[in-house]
Amino acid sequence: MLHVRIAPLLMACATSLVWCGLGTPAFAQTLVLSLSPSTITFSAADPDTTPTITAPSVTVEYEVEDNGSNNWRITLLAGGDLTTGSATIAITNVTWTATPAPPFQAGTLSKTVAQTLASGTGIPNQTGTVVFRLANSWTYNVGTYTASVVFTLSAP
Amino acid sequence: MMLATALPAVAATRNRTATATATVSSRVKLSISSSTLAFPNADPDVTPAIAASGGPLTITAKASTTIGSTVQLVVVASGDLLSGVDQIGISALKWTASGSGFAAGTMSKTAAQTVASWVSSGSWTGTQSYTLDNAWTYAMGAYSTTLTYTLTAP
Repeated sequence: MLHVRIAPLLMACATSLVWCGLGTPAFAQTLVLSLSPSTITFSAADPDTTPTITAPSVTVEYEVEDNGSNNWRITLLAGGDLTTGSATIAITNVTWTATPAPPFQAGTLSKTVAQTLASGTGIPNQTGTVVFRLANSWTYNVGTYTASVVFTLSAP
Repeated sequence: MMLATALPAVAATRNRTATATATVSSRVKLSISSSTLAFPNADPDVTPAIAASGGPLTITAKASTTIGSTVQLVVVASGDLLSGVDQIGISALKWTASGSGFAAGTMSKTAAQTVASWVSSGSWTGTQSYTLDNAWTYAMGAYSTTLTYTLTAP
């Protein structure tokens, strides 16, 4: 009888626990994050007629398993300004709106501080839609600019 | 399972990277506050240079070009000021200017004259104030010509 009761606990340690000794035990969540598409495209437009360029929306699918009632968060951090050769467009000219809100929220891209795209508690398994916008300007020089944007799902 | 739900979670993260692309195409845009210039009749002794009655032209130029390229605004006359067989040499038409990149000049019918120039993309506004040199030698009449402005960016 003793073996019958202990065996499931040992199995739990082997499969879910990061730490199974004395003191404060802990476990790791399973995180799933996907983007579709994984490109954010701003087409050329006349700054007078199109002061803000809207990119096709990005669908974000996210899932946090075994999170209990802990917090989770999705952040965005740009790898740098939009760049082509020596010409740049400050990444702060890119903003976004997102639905559903909450847990999603609007914001402005940064290359130095990760910005919150969505946050909540519990065990989410949901989909969100993000629409990025670029403030258009006559001061932008001709070219095809690129920048990376890292989406990070973290818990707790 | 009972044990797992009572445990604090270890921070975990999952990253995905998207690539943002923005395309900026070459384009120029030019606006001038008036399409006509008029110089009233005046006594050459009292008014040796006649200012345009409508006041300065306000010019706005906008250009998207490659970084470091020169954006240029020029003007050229189709010919001298004409009234029938009478004429006033177009070099009698001069201007002063204000605004970043704008410069004073004298009108020509043979070579486009620079009104303003800038480097790289941008939007600029300035004024151009025309005067017509007055002279007793001008025959009476209403003279006219055409001025063509051209904004270029490579």
